[in-house]
Amino acid sequence: MGAAGATAAAFTIVPRHVLGGPGNTPPSEKLNIAGIGVGGRGSGVLQGVESQNIVALCDVDTERAAQAFKRHPDAKIYRDFRRMLDKEEKNIDAVTVATPDHVHAPASMMAIKMGKHVYCEKPLAHSIYEARMLTEAAREHKVATQFGTQGQASEGNRLICEYIWDGAIGPVREVHVWVDRPLSKGQDFYWAQGVGRPAETPPVPETLEWDLWLGPAPERPYNPIYCPFTWRGWLDFGTGALGDMGCHSFDPIFRALKLGYPSSVEATSTLLNDETFPVASIVRYEFGARGDMPPVKLTWYDGGLKPARPEELDEGRRMRPEGILFIGDKGKLLNERLIPESRMKEYGKPPEVLPRSPGHFEEWINACKGGEPARANFDWAGPMTEVVLLGNVALRRELREKLTETKLYWDGPNMSCTNVPEANEYLRREYRKGWTL
Amino acid sequence: MQANKRNITKKPSAMSRRDFIGGAAGVAAFTIVPRHVLGGPGYSTPSEKLNIAGIGVGGKGAGDIGAVEGENIVALCDVDDKQGGKTFEKYPGAKRYRDFRKMLEKEKNIDAVVIATPDHVHAPASMMAIKMGKHVYCEKPLTHSVYEARMLTEAAREHKVATQMGNQGHSSEDIRLICEWIWDGAIGPVREVHAWTDRPGGRWAQGVERPEGSSPVPTTLDWDLWLGPAPYRPYVEKAYCPFVWRGWWDFGTGALGDMACHIIDPVFWALKLGYPTSVRAVSTEVNSETAPVSSIVEYEFGARGDMPPVKLTWYDGGLMPTRPAELEKGRRMGSANGGALFVGDKGKLMCGCYAKNPRLIPETAMQAYQRPPKTIPRVEEHHQDWIQACKGGTPASSNFDYAGPLTETVLLGNLAIRTGMKLDWDGPNMKCTNVPEANEFVRREYRAGWTL
Repeated sequence: MGAAGATAAAFTIVPRHVLGGPGNTPPSEKLNIAGIGVGGRGSGVLQGVESQNIVALCDVDTERAAQAFKRHPDAKIYRDFRRMLDKEEKNIDAVTVATPDHVHAPASMMAIKMGKHVYCEKPLAHSIYEARMLTEAAREHKVATQFGTQGQASEGNRLICEYIWDGAIGPVREVHVWVDRPLSKGQDFYWAQGVGRPAETPPVPETLEWDLWLGPAPERPYNPIYCPFTWRGWLDFGTGALGDMGCHSFDPIFRALKLGYPSSVEATSTLLNDETFPVASIVRYEFGARGDMPPVKLTWYDGGLKPARPEELDEGRRMRPEGILFIGDKGKLLNERLIPESRMKEYGKPPEVLPRSPGHFEEWINACKGGEPARANFDWAGPMTEVVLLGNVALRRELREKLTETKLYWDGPNMSCTNVPEANEYLRREYRKGWTL
Repeated sequence: MQANKRNITKKPSAMSRRDFIGGAAGVAAFTIVPRHVLGGPGYSTPSEKLNIAGIGVGGKGAGDIGAVEGENIVALCDVDDKQGGKTFEKYPGAKRYRDFRKMLEKEKNIDAVVIATPDHVHAPASMMAIKMGKHVYCEKPLTHSVYEARMLTEAAREHKVATQMGNQGHSSEDIRLICEWIWDGAIGPVREVHAWTDRPGGRWAQGVERPEGSSPVPTTLDWDLWLGPAPYRPYVEKAYCPFVWRGWWDFGTGALGDMACHIIDPVFWALKLGYPTSVRAVSTEVNSETAPVSSIVEYEFGARGDMPPVKLTWYDGGLMPTRPAELEKGRRMGSANGGALFVGDKGKLMCGCYAKNPRLIPETAMQAYQRPPKTIPRVEEHHQDWIQACKGGTPASSNFDYAGPLTETVLLGNLAIRTGMKLDWDGPNMKCTNVPEANEFVRREYRAGWTL
């Protein structure tokens, strides 16, 4: 890490070909890929890699996974990824993981330890500790990894970096980033937050293996309030709007501003409870200087909250439900456009200094076959996920009282909160019997 | 005065009593003309007791009546026998009513009324009393709509009655200290203020839709009277009353209406604020039934005299501003229920809800500060301040000339929340100049049988 101070250093990526590693499939051959969690987003991930051989599919919910099963009739079908990996170890080169958040780490870790390449959805893990362990294990086992932030492969992501590195808005000391999840005005309801645990215990659908769905999480009775999809709001399974969308939104910010671990975090929100994330929150991170970049404050808003509309935004242009606003000493960048529009027109495009992506999934497939590491490999995704999840630590109900009296100061390299020791209890969670990292 | 020329409200003559500070229309501060200058309806002499009637005497109303029980409590009105029960028992000599309209018509000996109904009834009850020449103590927020606040303010002035709003922090030593310190330049010119509350925070529901179905109305409750001027809807147990009406647009004014009259009060007074020039809001999901779970409202005020323009940001539902670097570790921001942070060019001042415990931060700045002389007259107690005004003394400190514009400003936040737009506000003309649909929320229609 650079001399800029450990807690603010950017994360560097060691190319795969330098590392060597497990038997790489030659580019001319197809990979044998197994899918873990293949309904919903998982089916989209599989489609992204279906140019390869899809040899096995695993899902705890046969109804949710039915489309994927049908699309790949030759793939062997499993409900328990542990059994699949045990039985199919020899036939699998790589896995895609698109389970609920609480299963990301155990599934990814088992595959990594077997030397399988891993594509894992965001956030990389459910806890900071898991993210750190996965990052280290992937490096140790020299597997090719990629993280489900497909936006990183976009032109816009690169333009943001190039505008900022070209000095288009001067040094950046303030960034605001917002999403409207878990709720969205005028659109469908995403999922519930700020609610308590239901008392009803309806029967488990025949198509669902509830115990496997729970995986490493503490046992609780089935209720359709948790799955599919709506697990995102529950502390035991999801990581809230921040965990869901933060990894997407933070990606261009972390790249453009070369962010590493923050020096402190502060969170404020609607009412907290022990079951679900709050209806809305604001999380404020502070990062130290990086090289010649000054310290920067990054503020996250969810649940419909947003920063103030910048004066430079032309009349008639709206603040979209999701966005990133970079505030530099010499200008402002809203997503990938300088504002006002006259400034954008005057500036034109910055010099193209970043290579463009062959495609998010292609990056990973190439890496599995011995090519360059994918751009969102775990050396990148792990630390960024940790920062996202640190916001959720600051949002713990148990810490709220204590955190009215101070910010949470963070020692990233040592993965430790330095001023509120109680916070360190929420960096890691216990697994249910039969589940390991 | 420029402001007078632009005023097109119903009673332009009333505006001439206003002494606008500075030339900037729309941001003028409101000054208070002493009661004894105005003259007015028959005043009780200080030695005589007032005859007081209570409208809404359960919950907070019980406390308000208790605070004036040194006078004669001659009549009590509540639509809910159960909520009002304890107060009825405590004052057995008082005549009991369910409908304040009937009470005010029948009881000829009332000098003054204390109003602590849900928000949507504040204005019709206050206005009826004012028009009869009764002195009025009304709970905060003064009204349910901006228009009602303006009309009440003007009527109280016209009828020369003694008034007071129930923002009791206004009678505190603390709020006076804040004014004196700010006016002394303790933190220099103030361009930014943050104010917050943790409400509703589970005390009542916001961000919910109207419940379906209905429940039998308890025999102790007159539901039709409880609804008062609001549109009819069926009674649903525990959904609306008691107390939890605060979140419903038809009855309450949300966490903002509930708490901002307290928490913004020291800001309004110390910074001599008048109407804002603009207001905008962001919030969690907005619906047409209840206030959102959480909101952030940003008001802009123009310059007032030698005070520069200032931006006031309100946070509710548990949201708070960034912790100021000057606040030492271990110290909490504000107090229970919220607080305010004044950001000046030369320092910062923080206080709790109701202006409590103001401190310059860091504490070293507080310790080093040479406090100015206490120039603002102190008052003993908020209700008694009104009582002495009713008896011909000086106007109570939060009389409607002050409380009306404060309430209007607070309620403007709800317009911004409901429209989701930045609203440019023409205060004197009570009109949003850039978003016509916002003007629909300035005033509301009353149900048949109810008037302002």
